[in-house]
Amino acid sequence: MTDSEPEAETAEDGEPAHEGRVATAEADVERAIERAEEHLPAEMRTPAPGLLPGELRPHPTPIQYVIVAVVLVVITAIEIATSYSEGTIPDAVIVVLLLGMAFVKFFLVAAWYMHLRTDAPVFRRFFILGAAAAILLYLIVLTTLHALS
Amino acid sequence: MAIEQAARDTAVEPVEAPVNGHDDTHTGVINPKLAMWLFLSSDCLFFGAFIATFLLYRDRPGQHGPTPADVFDIPFTSVTSFILLMSSLTMVLALAAIQRGEMRRFRIWIMATALFGATFIGGQIFEFTQFTREGLNIDTNLFGSSFYVLTGLHGAHVTAGIIWLISLWGLSMQGRIGPGQSEAIEVAGLYWHFVDVVWIVIFTVVYLIPK
Repeated sequence: MTDSEPEAETAEDGEPAHEGRVATAEADVERAIERAEEHLPAEMRTPAPGLLPGELRPHPTPIQYVIVAVVLVVITAIEIATSYSEGTIPDAVIVVLLLGMAFVKFFLVAAWYMHLRTDAPVFRRFFILGAAAAILLYLIVLTTLHALS
Repeated sequence: MAIEQAARDTAVEPVEAPVNGHDDTHTGVINPKLAMWLFLSSDCLFFGAFIATFLLYRDRPGQHGPTPADVFDIPFTSVTSFILLMSSLTMVLALAAIQRGEMRRFRIWIMATALFGATFIGGQIFEFTQFTREGLNIDTNLFGSSFYVLTGLHGAHVTAGIIWLISLWGLSMQGRIGPGQSEAIEVAGLYWHFVDVVWIVIFTVVYLIPK
């Protein structure tokens, strides 16, 4: 689509284990959007006009929002199917898969629907600070209290 | 010379015209939006505390009464999760509509978002009622306490969001919100999407991860 620098920054800010999955999901969404846009009338491909202070690029188009929603639904369906695989797949693998898919969904909503990929980096930094602080703090608490063992 | 120099030093920069009807700010971003992101950042810690508490207490030995495996109805909760995900889509479509000046379409999408949210809350009330019938109350065991507090607080956030969305719909019906106030919709949307991403985490951690 357009330059992918903000996504790259976001991916770098994420946990290393999720970087590959996030990059793949993002690339899939971009390709799906490009394919879908070729068949659409011009008004569906045009983002809303005008930028507010703090917006670096135009917001996504309605069709891009719809495609992200489809991706979210598909991932949710895979999540549910994975949760029913208990017994056939080791629990540890299921946990990793489910957390990975939840992270991808979280990322897609934050980047596309909350516009973190098109807005000023200050918003992204605030959000990542809060989310990372929460994850770190409560991982320490749970590990200390042996809740994860 | 000195007077001219002093005049140059104290000269005020020309004021730029507001961008899209919004005054410039010292931070270069819209203040309500910045405030909302700060609030959401702090809300991460808020929900993190209750998710951690749930993980801590869920499998504590010696608990009496129903366990997660006894009460959870994954297909039902999956449907309500799907509804909440769809409400995020209608929310961004409402924002896109108002930014294009399509007020009728904006009202439809924002009301659809509120209705999806209300359906989610209806599902949560139904779920809580079912759990109560199966013997899981807030004071039954540690699992019950941490589960009801976590999901109940999330439900309270959704309810606040529904009231906010209906208020915006009402204001637009009165003509008090128009395309020039799209930032108000974006800020409400940020809150709504945050409620959605919190549910993404709760759905996975509380309902789907094997016990």
